[in-house]
Amino acid sequence: MVKKIKIAPATKTGAHHWLTQRISAIALLPLIIWLLLSFVQIVQDPQEYMPVFFAYPFNAVMGILLISASLYHGSLGMQVIIEDYVSCKIKRHFYIMLIHFISITTAIAAILAIVRLHLVG
Amino acid sequence: MTKKNKDPRPLSPHLQIYAWNISSLTSIFHRLTGVLLYFSIVAISWYVVLFTYRINSGEMVESCDCPWQNLINYALYAIATAIIFALYYHFCNGIRHLFWDIGKGFKLETAQTNGYLVIISAVVLTILTIGFAAYFKFM
Repeated sequence: MVKKIKIAPATKTGAHHWLTQRISAIALLPLIIWLLLSFVQIVQDPQEYMPVFFAYPFNAVMGILLISASLYHGSLGMQVIIEDYVSCKIKRHFYIMLIHFISITTAIAAILAIVRLHLVG
Repeated sequence: MTKKNKDPRPLSPHLQIYAWNISSLTSIFHRLTGVLLYFSIVAISWYVVLFTYRINSGEMVESCDCPWQNLINYALYAIATAIIFALYYHFCNGIRHLFWDIGKGFKLETAQTNGYLVIISAVVLTILTIGFAAYFKFM
């Protein structure tokens, strides 16, 4: 006899999750190229380049966009991995919330730091 | 874990169950590098925060001739290389995934060739980037 499997009700967020994951991925393509070019520039002399790097508006904007897009893309990805491998529903929701907490806190702190580096130095 | 909270749906099969081949390897490595990159961007962001508010700035600037200072530097270079390789790999394989999402490249030979292409281009781009960085830094 086949045991009937109870299926959790759909939350109807899957399509939005899938689409935003792809959109943030496309947004990250140029941002990653910028990051790698900046990396090659900064490592030449970190003591000299680091303090003035975010004084340029272009770098400040790209940095803020990179941090927002990558942390958003990252939390969406981590959420999928947690959903795939954590069976206990309480732990699963706890880990997903923890990832969101880490992402949002990091994003706010880093964006504030970049704004400060841009304005104050 | 109480039975009540257990999701009745099955979990994803764990990784040890699969036979190794290029398509599973690239897929597994995509997730692995994704997790690594997530924690890297978190760490780098907090480093920028620390740098901004000049927390322990004296310790950062100061460098000594102690032998472990060199060791720490080499470890940092190794970590940076690993992160850059993970970044290039995730970048290239991500482009491959985006092509799959628009319905291209599903033929078996194409997918396998692309898999090797992703690995090779990630290695080559990493070597180029590290080469340029080392050239500008030390030459």
